[in-house]
Amino acid sequence: MVTAYSLGKTLLKIDNVSLEYDGRPILSGVTAEVRDIVVPGRVQGQVVGILGPSGCGKTTLFRIIAGLHAPTSGRVSVNGFDRPVMAGEVGVVAQSYPLFEHRTVLGNLMLGAMKKEKDSKAARDKVMEFLNEFELADKYNLYPAQLSGGQRQRCAIIQQILCSEHFLLMDEPFSGLDLIMLEKTCELIAKVSDMDDLNTIIVVTHDVTAACSVADHLWLMGHGPGEDGNPAAGSHIIKQYNLIDRDLCWQPGIITTARFTDFVREVKEEFRRL
Amino acid sequence: MNHAVAVFSPNAVLNKNAVRILIAFQVAIVILLWIFSPFVLLPKPGEVLSAFGELWEQGLGAELITSFYLNIQAIALSTVVTLLLAYATVMPFFRPIVALLSKLRFLSLVGLTFFFTLMSKSGHELKLSLLVFSVSVFFVTGMADVINGVPKEMFDLARTLRMGEWRVVWEVIVLGQIDQVFDVLRQNAAMGWMMLTMVEGIVRSEGGVGTVLLDQNHHFRLAAVFAIQLTILLLGLFQDVSIGFLKNMACPYASLTLERK
Repeated sequence: MVTAYSLGKTLLKIDNVSLEYDGRPILSGVTAEVRDIVVPGRVQGQVVGILGPSGCGKTTLFRIIAGLHAPTSGRVSVNGFDRPVMAGEVGVVAQSYPLFEHRTVLGNLMLGAMKKEKDSKAARDKVMEFLNEFELADKYNLYPAQLSGGQRQRCAIIQQILCSEHFLLMDEPFSGLDLIMLEKTCELIAKVSDMDDLNTIIVVTHDVTAACSVADHLWLMGHGPGEDGNPAAGSHIIKQYNLIDRDLCWQPGIITTARFTDFVREVKEEFRRL
Repeated sequence: MNHAVAVFSPNAVLNKNAVRILIAFQVAIVILLWIFSPFVLLPKPGEVLSAFGELWEQGLGAELITSFYLNIQAIALSTVVTLLLAYATVMPFFRPIVALLSKLRFLSLVGLTFFFTLMSKSGHELKLSLLVFSVSVFFVTGMADVINGVPKEMFDLARTLRMGEWRVVWEVIVLGQIDQVFDVLRQNAAMGWMMLTMVEGIVRSEGGVGTVLLDQNHHFRLAAVFAIQLTILLLGLFQDVSIGFLKNMACPYASLTLERK
């Protein structure tokens, strides 16, 4: 049975975004939005998976959503603001989980926390709360080079959550992970999204199965005709999937069911046509 | 793995004791080769030691202090000048200037002496300005490379943490690259000793170890030349170790990911 839900206000809006490099179109008319998913009786964040083949402009769109790159036309806005998104409003966790190597875990996280908490005591308390929550409390005094890959990933996520306005962009978080680490990353994404109703995680990936298992909405990017049927020179969002309506999310063990497998197959078929 | 095999295995990492034994062994071999060398012109260790004693009695200590003081002054000044110039490259206005300064490293010091003489009020000032110039042009090249090599993702990280562009510079370029500043400084401070003897040879006021070295060389006193060279080598090693020690104290994170620490 499909979980009862409703869609609230628009949290993030990508409005007809296009980008050209030296006259060469990279993105053409990318339009999509993320709305607040309201499930009665529980805290429910949003997870969107952006899927697309290599070189289709996913990372470029990622940088535009993060406010790190201005589009040639169109704009991305968050939280209903009538202005383009600014760097820092959307947290970014890059594929290599960059952290400041010259700062300890605590030092790195304080940089994020101090942007919201003006009092250093309150910021430190907030950091320690997150470190406890993400099982990193005993690592606060270590340098990033002393962390394992998983610990580094969690640290990078916490740093961005502490600073951003409920938004987190993750670039290829499943890349190169073994099965156990992949499951843990999916659990981590679900955990972060469910910490606050407004938490929105956008996962940019080309791992179809992992994206389907973690997202409530999928955006398929690529070249080819858009939803209006007209051909576009650059990449755009070709198709959107709502996994809630298909009763394919928020259920433990869903990935072992036949309908999930069928859905992944359907997305993969679409993926191959991109 | 057997140590004897390990020392000839690619990428083998030895424990500290094994490294000490290896160094002691290699130093012993060098000394033995030196002692039993068939080259008649090569002064023997005893002759070098004796020449050192004579030089010391003639005031080598004072000459060393003069040179050491000049070198420290030059390193300090060129570090300040270089860091200011290198950090200034975050602003496009300064990039062509620094690029041009970097190209000046191809110029000969001898050809610049007249120009610097016109600008200097004393011999010490002339030597200092020649040294600062000659070290800085190499130092600034190294530092510009360090800054140009900072990956884009570090700038992105700082920006996503809502840092303004000056704060980005402070966090990513100044604090983030400080360990590499020590490395570049170490190389250029070593080059300072090489330049120093040349500069002291060109400008002989105040004396200094370079002047003594050239005098001994001129009179073909090879034992004395060797004694001075070895003294400079030891001073240079002390300087190298000191800068390395400062780096380890200030940047304990720098060696965490290295295989050979």
